[in-house]
Amino acid sequence: MKTRILAGITAATLVAAVAGCGHSKGTPTDTAQSGGALTLGASLSLTGSLAREGTLTREGYEVCRSVVNGRGGVPVGGKKLTLDITYQDDTSKPDTAAQLVDQFNDNGVKLILGPYGSATTAAAAAVVERNKQVMADSSGADDAIFTKGYRHTFAVLSPATSYAASMVQALFDLADPKPKTIAFISADDGFSKTVTTGGVARAQQLGFTVVDTEFVPNGTSDVSGALTKIKSKNPDVIIGSVHLAEGVAIVKQAKELGVNPPGGFGETVAPPTPDFATSLGTAANGVLGSTQWTALTSGSDKWFGTARDYAATFAKQYNGRQPEYHGAEATAACLALVLAVEKAGSTDPDKVRDALAGLDEQTFFGPLKFNPTGQNTTKTMGVIQIQAGKPVPVWPRDASQSPLIWPGNRS
Amino acid sequence: MSQFAQATVYGLLQGGILALVAVRFSLVWGVLNVVNLAHGAFVVAGAYVAYELHETIGLDPFLGMVPAALVLFVLGYALQRYLVNLVVNAPIFITLLLTFGLALIAVDGMVLLFTANYRGIPVGYAAGSLTLPGDVRLPVGRLIAALLAVGITLGLGYVMRRTRTGLAILATGMDRGAARLMGIRAAHVYALTFGIAAALAGAAGAAVSAVGTFSPADAGRFTLFSFVAAVLGGLGTMSGALYGGLLLGLVESWGGQLLPGTLVNAVAFAVLVLVLAVRPQGLAGKAFYAARVEA
Repeated sequence: MKTRILAGITAATLVAAVAGCGHSKGTPTDTAQSGGALTLGASLSLTGSLAREGTLTREGYEVCRSVVNGRGGVPVGGKKLTLDITYQDDTSKPDTAAQLVDQFNDNGVKLILGPYGSATTAAAAAVVERNKQVMADSSGADDAIFTKGYRHTFAVLSPATSYAASMVQALFDLADPKPKTIAFISADDGFSKTVTTGGVARAQQLGFTVVDTEFVPNGTSDVSGALTKIKSKNPDVIIGSVHLAEGVAIVKQAKELGVNPPGGFGETVAPPTPDFATSLGTAANGVLGSTQWTALTSGSDKWFGTARDYAATFAKQYNGRQPEYHGAEATAACLALVLAVEKAGSTDPDKVRDALAGLDEQTFFGPLKFNPTGQNTTKTMGVIQIQAGKPVPVWPRDASQSPLIWPGNRS
Repeated sequence: MSQFAQATVYGLLQGGILALVAVRFSLVWGVLNVVNLAHGAFVVAGAYVAYELHETIGLDPFLGMVPAALVLFVLGYALQRYLVNLVVNAPIFITLLLTFGLALIAVDGMVLLFTANYRGIPVGYAAGSLTLPGDVRLPVGRLIAALLAVGITLGLGYVMRRTRTGLAILATGMDRGAARLMGIRAAHVYALTFGIAAALAGAAGAAVSAVGTFSPADAGRFTLFSFVAAVLGGLGTMSGALYGGLLLGLVESWGGQLLPGTLVNAVAFAVLVLVLAVRPQGLAGKAFYAARVEA
């Protein structure tokens, strides 16, 4: 009974919030028709469980907006359009993200910047497809989004299958002595499972023995069950396909439980975020992580220059703070739409879609080129290692800052 | 075998932390008949107090429990005295709505104040562990937290049964009308209860900050687990939530060993359903609380 009441309250609050947002924003089409502005819509996790990542994504979109407008705007058919981004808060919930994208369509906003995360992106992609809007996906990496035959969603980032696989490849290329056995711990959301599948496949292909794969609830701060099971199998390396909470828990609880893989840990997206090293202190050192982008990523473009230039631009806008890959991938998604609109010479969604499908550009984020399903498979992931409390690029070699410290677990 | 022993030890410690979070939730529910949905937010607020003190003056988070408790006591007392008391006689739906609103404000307020970043206080000794026979590890930080949970629960039980204030709180919980006739100032007692509960939630938060990670978004999870532990243990006794928390920790830990890890929450709630079906008043609950007089 109580949960029912709760569910009712939650639903009512949500409806009220969504309705409120929709009306307060007015009609963005007014500005678009005046010929002076190019309006993009973005539904983001500004509150709720993904508020942190959602905020980082918004920063990336804002960098794109200020850089493009700082140069007069997007050149379209002899005119320059001011870039305008309308944000709505989806409270980290996929249903709400889908409703908001639909609402953008009702208001005439056809060009969409992706929400944060695979679940919200998947929900938004279905609506985008139905409305024939166009979405540049900045963070929805789950391959499942791209198996449904959608033609209007384009992801600038490397697919989920390459997250853990890139760390396995880095171990294969750089680690000496080479580890023999790997255990995987995976969160149980769609994205993390796809990451694990890709990582296990690559490990087996490269001749590693996968001794165990354990699943834990998404977002949990207790992974002791999985670690207790893995302990008796003595893996050389433990690779987690996780988010920050589970990633921190793996390192902390492994120490508590006396699980000491000689090669240490790899943890996909957790280590590149600064919170990882601050919440773990010295225990974070040696942990590997995978990242969509670092300031050493090769490639450059006319709007943002190289990855280093981009980092400088970002730092200037945010009081000297260095960008994480969340910000960079968001800017890259915005850049993809800007480049496509420029190339199409029009803001017509069909023309922009075709221009995106044919895009082949080098950028600060690496290559932007989409396969027929809309994924960016040309780009490689980078691997970082926490060294002296800082994430340091170690792989691929041509974009590395310092050599891999091996074995990673020195405790 | 040592794997099972390890799971048991860890489950009990994990349960201790759950109990530490749940005891005061049970207190407010049992005495005030208020299901405090903002409880998790208090826990997180306590964690932030400990975190800020650690950042600024390097205070150990376990010592930080004291200032965290003080800050939250003042906050809790004021909230109950000047806000929740206004509707405490209204149907439970109204207090539910009010505390739900408070939780939303508190969580989003903390997002604004502290950002949504995940925090954790790296405490060297808390991450270490004692090795028992059979290579079973006993993590120090969790051990301290679990012992504190038991200590605080016993202490609270003593205060409730042996002091005038405690008896006044219990009396008000049993029969508000009769308590008033005996000269107990109900408004003050309510605020005091809520304040004590908030203080202990703050202390629990400080302990959580030393052994795990937290962010404002975790408030909901703390409320949920408190709810389950309180109902499991039974309302009305301080020890009920302790048993509930310990049982919940054990069940999750054992479930994690025997079943795929993603099913642990399902197992925990299945146990709740089972206990409610067999013993509706909970493990240690007393039936007379269900028949209390509302005035």
